[in-house]
Amino acid sequence: MQYQNPQIAEVAQLLQKRLVELDNKVDILRAVELKALYEQIRTLPADQRGVFGQEVNRLRQELGQLVDQAQTVEQPLPAIDVTAPFDINIAPEQRPSLLSSAVGSTHPLMLELAVVLDIFYRMGFTAVESPEIDDDFHMFGALNFPEGHPARDDYDTFMTEQTDGHGQPFIAPAHTSTMQHRVLQTHKADLERGVPIAAVIPGRVFRNEDLDARHEHTFYQLEGVYVGQGVNAGHLIATLKTFLQAYYQKDLEVKTQPFYFPFTEPSFEFALSCPFCDKKGCHICSQTGWIELLGCGMIHPNVLRAAGIDPEVYTGFAWGGGIERLVMMKYGIEDIRYFESGKLNFLRQF
Amino acid sequence: MKVSVNWIKQYLDFELPPLDELVEAIGAQLGAVEEVIDLGARYQGIVIVKVAECRKLEDSDHLNVCLVDDGGKTVGVNREQSGLIQVVCGAPNVRVGMFVAWLPPGTTVPSTHAKEPLVLEARTLRGVVSNGMLASARELALGDSHDGLLELDGDHQPGDDFAKVFGLDDHIIDIENKMFTHRPDCFGQLGVAREIAGIFGHQFNSPAWYTPQATIALAGAATLPLEVQNEIPGLVPRFTAVVLDNIQITASPVWLQVALARIGLRPINNIVDLTNYHMFLTGQPLHAYDYHKVKALSNGETAVLVARNPRASERLTLLNGKTIDPRQEAIVIATDQTIIGLGGVMGGATTEVDSDTTAIILECASFDMYSIRRSSMAHGIFSDAVTRFNKGQSPLQNLAVLADIVRAIQELTAARLASALIDDNNVAAETQARNALYPPIRLTSSYINDRLGLALAAETMATLLKNVEFSVDYDETSLTVKAPFWRTDIELREDIVEEVGRLYGFDKLPLALPLRPLTPASQDDLLELKQTVRTVLSQAGANEILTYSFVHGKLFDNVGQDKALAFKLGNALSPDLQYYRLSLTPSLLDKIHLNVKAGYDQFGVFEIGKAHTQRHTDTESGLPLELDRLAFVFAADKKAQRKHSGAAYYQAQTYLMNLLVEFGLAAKVKIVPLQPGNYDEVATANIAYYEPARSATIMIGDSVLGEIGEYRSGVRKALKLPDFCAGFELDLAALLAHGLKSKQYVPLSRFPDVSQDICFKVASELTYEELRDFVASELESKKPDNGLLDLGALDIYQRDDDLDHKQITFRVSLTSYERTLTDKEVSGLLNDLAASVQQKFSAERI
Repeated sequence: MQYQNPQIAEVAQLLQKRLVELDNKVDILRAVELKALYEQIRTLPADQRGVFGQEVNRLRQELGQLVDQAQTVEQPLPAIDVTAPFDINIAPEQRPSLLSSAVGSTHPLMLELAVVLDIFYRMGFTAVESPEIDDDFHMFGALNFPEGHPARDDYDTFMTEQTDGHGQPFIAPAHTSTMQHRVLQTHKADLERGVPIAAVIPGRVFRNEDLDARHEHTFYQLEGVYVGQGVNAGHLIATLKTFLQAYYQKDLEVKTQPFYFPFTEPSFEFALSCPFCDKKGCHICSQTGWIELLGCGMIHPNVLRAAGIDPEVYTGFAWGGGIERLVMMKYGIEDIRYFESGKLNFLRQF
Repeated sequence: MKVSVNWIKQYLDFELPPLDELVEAIGAQLGAVEEVIDLGARYQGIVIVKVAECRKLEDSDHLNVCLVDDGGKTVGVNREQSGLIQVVCGAPNVRVGMFVAWLPPGTTVPSTHAKEPLVLEARTLRGVVSNGMLASARELALGDSHDGLLELDGDHQPGDDFAKVFGLDDHIIDIENKMFTHRPDCFGQLGVAREIAGIFGHQFNSPAWYTPQATIALAGAATLPLEVQNEIPGLVPRFTAVVLDNIQITASPVWLQVALARIGLRPINNIVDLTNYHMFLTGQPLHAYDYHKVKALSNGETAVLVARNPRASERLTLLNGKTIDPRQEAIVIATDQTIIGLGGVMGGATTEVDSDTTAIILECASFDMYSIRRSSMAHGIFSDAVTRFNKGQSPLQNLAVLADIVRAIQELTAARLASALIDDNNVAAETQARNALYPPIRLTSSYINDRLGLALAAETMATLLKNVEFSVDYDETSLTVKAPFWRTDIELREDIVEEVGRLYGFDKLPLALPLRPLTPASQDDLLELKQTVRTVLSQAGANEILTYSFVHGKLFDNVGQDKALAFKLGNALSPDLQYYRLSLTPSLLDKIHLNVKAGYDQFGVFEIGKAHTQRHTDTESGLPLELDRLAFVFAADKKAQRKHSGAAYYQAQTYLMNLLVEFGLAAKVKIVPLQPGNYDEVATANIAYYEPARSATIMIGDSVLGEIGEYRSGVRKALKLPDFCAGFELDLAALLAHGLKSKQYVPLSRFPDVSQDICFKVASELTYEELRDFVASELESKKPDNGLLDLGALDIYQRDDDLDHKQITFRVSLTSYERTLTDKEVSGLLNDLAASVQQKFSAERI
């Protein structure tokens, strides 16, 4: 930029330099120096005003162009030697270093999942993750949900615009039960060798639900599957009770309420005596003394059959429950949305 | 499903236990109870009175001063000398001799009970004392009517407890509908009553009229002929109907209004109320049409009902006033000329029963549950009929229900049968013959016991089942079970197992852990790896975050990723959650600004998660691959940046190397500067956000482990990132494939090491790695046999006045396993090294 007026030229140089350092480039157009030039116009003798005014306007325009440029054009940084362990001319005490482990944190959901998985490992369950994108067969078909069945209404699934080989949309799984069929198939051979199938399946699941303090469209579930010979409903209740007692490290009472899932029969809602008040009634259990925690049941023969397992010979049970609930109850977390908020003031507490 | 305890008691011949025990048993053996409503509390203290005297209140155009007779039973109330009680009343229908509900002072107006209770007191109205009030249906929370007092029909004893007389001393138990997804019968009070009998070990007997053999006989000729045509027998397995005339539409008797109101229904008129009453009794929806309206819309002298699919461009206005274009496959009801209803979902407005109706068609049909559900969803209509039809009502109960409602209507009104019974029955002959939807189920008692962990005798099982009206043949070891005609869910042996377990009580099952061999549970390597990554990074002061798997299309634009690669949701909640993400880094970058703003001056965040692209498909399953990834981003604001001289890139690299050490890969990876234009579309998406001059691919051999770098100015600007911001993203499958599971140990030497520094002045363009690799290989070849080399960078220096060169200082440590090395020996070795380096890179030793 060339300016006749030395005063304007000086401001131009100053502002260009400042522009480089500005975070918000637009601020340069509000610089006091520029404003002062404008104000100066009317103080000038009439014959000088025109030329001076034109130059100030030109300066403003050119700065505006620079701002636009800065906003649209990539401004490459000077190249560095990416293979080096540190930058040039850096004193040893200023070289990159790790933050203090005191500020590090693990996500509370993952922390709790690890605790839960550890108990199940110790009980003999292997763990495998569920996928975040799946098909109708694993979400419904293999689990004895006929096409158009009203039970599908309870699972408001997200679906992709893209379709699979059968022309059906892919599905964002609404439960970790999508893995039941796979686990049964994978471990069928074990079963035939006399080793029961014992697996837990942690995974992220999705429901087309509006967000509020208690509802998330994205949450974590843990599914469990156990299949063997002579497995009965008493085994199911005992297994879950044993887990919960290990988890809460105290004796608990449990109860079941009949429920309906297409993939288990019988199906239950599983409740435990409130471990926080020992059944006396508190805000966590809504003064009822009981906490409903899981859905469970004996695996439906059609589900076993779909995986090539003979329901005459083998029986089994399955359950599923949310992880968020455990964590929220444990720490008294008031809003489920914090989990995926990425807020450090929340996360660093764990 | 709201259940009235008083209603079900009419069908039980045993004393129910106290309410809390009843509720607990229902929860444990039928389904979760959502709520128990104490209706009695709402109606406490309300008294039936007879209006004995009534005179206009002077100076008022509508108020009357009434003296009511409570039989002298109410205590603590002001009485006239006659013993009557003065109440002021504004209802137009008040008259001497009528029975009404009187709310004495101190009682709560029932309609206000739930929200802000209005407690009445003796109050002076225009100089006249009114002791409480006389109530309308609305004030009693028994309907919408506020036109006048609710006149209590029939004969009553003044002073009787209103709640008791009308069965409002009741509890309503609301059971979760979900439990009854496969139990259409439990959407009627009768079905729930039966289950409760079974739960408490009592034999239930359905009323005699509830039988598939029920019928309706017309004596004489049909005066109002009806014809039914069923074009879609597959979707309408049964359609029964009959015509009644001599109908007079009135308000229902109070008992009927009360019966409906207590389970939350709004009384409408006698005919509609009775259809609702029978629906809530049996679960079977019914519909009443105005016969003459149907006939007027039919072609000829006979009223015609047709069950069919809609014709092109047919529109229908429903009872709720909504006009719809029925979906193509819907079940609609029409005359032979025009559409009049959405079968099983909602009736049409044109044939509605109204106050002028004198003849009705009663329809009791069975509809395909899937079709009803789809129509309901497609048109957004969720009626009580839909709730019941979409569970699949038994087509064997239609005549029983139809016959009983005809009886009830005739009992209530002077109605006469005016047509023959029509029964368009497409139910399979064998199903009809056996009066059950599925063939009898044969099974052994051990089949049941094995699955429940019990040792019940076949006889005990039989009793449990017979209590709820199964027919059971059994001997010592086996049972043959036939479900009653209303049960649509008893098809498999497991269904019998469930019934026995439930009626016996699942909470009584013996608890034992399953026994299994000592085979250790296998561990999932990927899960283990993730746990290790999590531990290493959090110990390095980083914070694990989780972000949504779905992102906004704008985020792709902001970081320069190609949306076309990503899976898109067709039914996203909002544009914020429309695409499956292609990598995790953008999600992390999206969380940087909010934390800087919250005052965190420097932090490292990481996420372990999955990415999906349309280019990664599992060839075997046809499903998109789950790309397990780890992303890390370090950010520091302007102030904290001063603690980190130099490029942010190196901060990210420090975290990367710290992590790779854990997997034994720190020395094995190659950091390869990005080479623009050299990548496929997926790789391009993964590097899209990096600053080319300050980023690199992380390679192990030929495999890409990930990418590392600072972010482009456009990305920094769009996501408001601080200048000091860099990170990396790794493919966890590659990390798993190449990473070591345990640390590598190098045996210690008994001899001391010798350390010397060596500095080279090299051209600025020479990468550190190139020099280091050469130095390392030279030293490896030159070091003493059976020796150990440790090579580290000490300093990288560039003079202000010589930007063409840089000086790199290494610290070389050598150790022998066999002897003590001398300084001189090492110096000599470094001299040799210096010579080779000079030759190779024209580097000067400083």
